[in-house]
Amino acid sequence: MLNVQLGDMPDAVFNTAEYFKNAYLPEWIVKPLSVQMIRDVDRSEVVGPSLIQSPVLGPISPLQLSGGVKTLMLLDNDRSRVFNVSTCGDNCAKWILHIADSRARQKRRLLVNLRHLMDFGAGPFRIRVRDPEGKSLGIATNRVEFLLLAGDYL
Amino acid sequence: MRGTHRVSIGNKRVRFRFDVRRNITVVRGDSGTGKTTLYDLVAAHMREGADSRVQLSCDRPCVALTDYDWRHQLAGFSSSIVFVDEGARYVPSEEFAAAVLGTDNYYVIFSREPLHQLPYSVNEIYAIKTSGRYHSLEPLYRPRVRHVYGTPSTVRANYETLLTEDAKSGYEFYRKRFEQTDIVCVSAQNNSGIYPWLRRHLERRVFVVADGAAFGAEAGRVLALQESHADSITICLPESFEWLLLSSGLVRNPELQSILRSPADYIESRDHTSWERFFSALLTRETQGTAFAYPEARLAPAWILEQNAEQVMALIRDRNVR
Repeated sequence: MLNVQLGDMPDAVFNTAEYFKNAYLPEWIVKPLSVQMIRDVDRSEVVGPSLIQSPVLGPISPLQLSGGVKTLMLLDNDRSRVFNVSTCGDNCAKWILHIADSRARQKRRLLVNLRHLMDFGAGPFRIRVRDPEGKSLGIATNRVEFLLLAGDYL
Repeated sequence: MRGTHRVSIGNKRVRFRFDVRRNITVVRGDSGTGKTTLYDLVAAHMREGADSRVQLSCDRPCVALTDYDWRHQLAGFSSSIVFVDEGARYVPSEEFAAAVLGTDNYYVIFSREPLHQLPYSVNEIYAIKTSGRYHSLEPLYRPRVRHVYGTPSTVRANYETLLTEDAKSGYEFYRKRFEQTDIVCVSAQNNSGIYPWLRRHLERRVFVVADGAAFGAEAGRVLALQESHADSITICLPESFEWLLLSSGLVRNPELQSILRSPADYIESRDHTSWERFFSALLTRETQGTAFAYPEARLAPAWILEQNAEQVMALIRDRNVR
């Protein structure tokens, strides 16, 4: 289950692109999940740990990936912090849910900070929605339930 | 600054072309569409000029807010188009809003956050559309017939409630217009009151009318709620109530049609934080000393007369809201 804390969260990493620049390891890029996410979100192919082929920009470094994909890789690889996922578009939502499910299988939870109304799809999914103080507002299992729980805070 | 400004910027691999026409433009949408690339091009051109090999064509300077000391940097910009990246934590703050509103710059802000402190238009929220190496900005929300936004309404019975953000003249106009009918008029007091009100009254058939000119921050959640309740909620977003009155044909001014056709050419960003403020000032000026005189707090009786009110309502009519 994904845990989402809404609104301003001072302890969360807001500028995930800057954090990624100084935190990522080359081996993150070639992990099968990263390769899939980069292909799906950025429509780019991983050539190696330091090289990605973009259909628009040509050969690029991991630092030129989209902010959304960088944040996804942080969620997958860095468990030390909570990250602002409003750097992710709706096309990242299914991957956030996927990472949360993987984490749950390891008996760990994924907590993210959300500052806009993300479309997680029609569902079903399980998202525990928390207010800006961290208090649980309930569990959303589809798009409408998520909207009704989160809308007052976004 | 006023007017519509065409920006064309790119390098050997990508090119962005789009127009900027109001003080605040917001760019959001999916990841991987090129927002950071666009911002980086502007920043590179600002740093290195032509030596960056970024080609920029615009009749105004295009600059990127890059400094940690953004307040100081902002103070140095004038009559420019200022691009603000999503990594900037200060963007949702009241301090940032106070610093940008009332300046003579236009701002292009990359952010998915609602930005409740900034009065931006529902019509100035864009996503990047890509066609090969060419990128443009496409509106995220498009009006359909008579300023109705969102999912096509499937409301099949008459509306029970007209909900307006307005607490003054707009509310007074609708309340008097519908006082002898089955429609109950309710004021949400301001645009941020609309979502909570709808949320509490999901069983009602509601026609919402609010000022599109400053509805940008509310558009996401209100239109999402409408999408999930298209059989009971309709969202109508004309520029503003004053814009409706000016567009009704009841105010006579030879220049008015030209202003309404191309407001950007007349609205100075330094003087008007949003277009609704301009239309309010224009209506007050144009009706002074007439039967339609418009002090915002109290609506002149002439606007409520059957024939006149019909002319106003014709612009937004829907089922029994007319």
